[in-house]
Amino acid sequence: MFVYEKKLQYPVRITTPNPALAKLILTQYGGPDGELGASLRYLSQRFSMPYSELKATLTDIGTEELGHLEMIGAIVYQLTRNLTEDEIKKGGFSDYFVDHTTGIYPASASGVPFSASVLAVKGDPITDLHEDMAAEQKARTTYDNILRFCDDPDVRDPIKFLREREIVHYQRFGEALRLTTDKLDSKNFYAFNPGFDPKR
Amino acid sequence: MSNQEMLLRKINAIDFALWELHIFLDTHPCNREALAKHDDLSQKRIVLAEQYEERFGPLEENTERWNWVDSPWPWEADFEKGMK
Repeated sequence: MFVYEKKLQYPVRITTPNPALAKLILTQYGGPDGELGASLRYLSQRFSMPYSELKATLTDIGTEELGHLEMIGAIVYQLTRNLTEDEIKKGGFSDYFVDHTTGIYPASASGVPFSASVLAVKGDPITDLHEDMAAEQKARTTYDNILRFCDDPDVRDPIKFLREREIVHYQRFGEALRLTTDKLDSKNFYAFNPGFDPKR
Repeated sequence: MSNQEMLLRKINAIDFALWELHIFLDTHPCNREALAKHDDLSQKRIVLAEQYEERFGPLEENTERWNWVDSPWPWEADFEKGMK
């Protein structure tokens, strides 16, 4: 089960609205490498993981990603508060606004709604952990790209925090992969799938 | 930043460090150094939480029955300020 803590993992306090930037950052809410996909990927993959360390890692990182989803929602929300009609038009926000007003909808920067097709659950720990390591790097690249468009320190600060978390998670998944291969057939890692085949 | 906010930030910083050690220990469950750091920070958190609660009331106040609905929500920018 899950219990909600009424706080953010890292504070978000933005004073200047910026709808154009909000639209870009929204991609980390519901885009292809966003936090929603990340949390669903890890929290779904964990069921078929064969070793305790992997179950723990995926449960914890999947849970942390839900906290990041909340942080991204807070950033987008604070960047679109008290907008005037003029700011909406000039910020290129009219197309999002007409569908969602200033609500937070899981979509990519180009407006494609969230889809589970952005993530994979293969039921093989080697395959899934490689997916997870790639996912962390893709999210890191997206945060790097967001930082190129962002000079407000109020926004850069939490985005840099989230970017660093991707790097830490990548490390943990790398270790999880090493733990897995250590337990497999040293002559052929793929001799069996420890997530499906009987124990050897 | 008020004294209350500063103390709260310190506690949150410790909570973050504890979390970081927690996920490190997922893949290194027998790492003595990390376990010792985790114990040390847990103790520090208890001391700071006591200090906080003596001066400003319950730490988890936001989650208490009445404040759950009435206190500010985390995505509101005045969240930290609004904390009693």
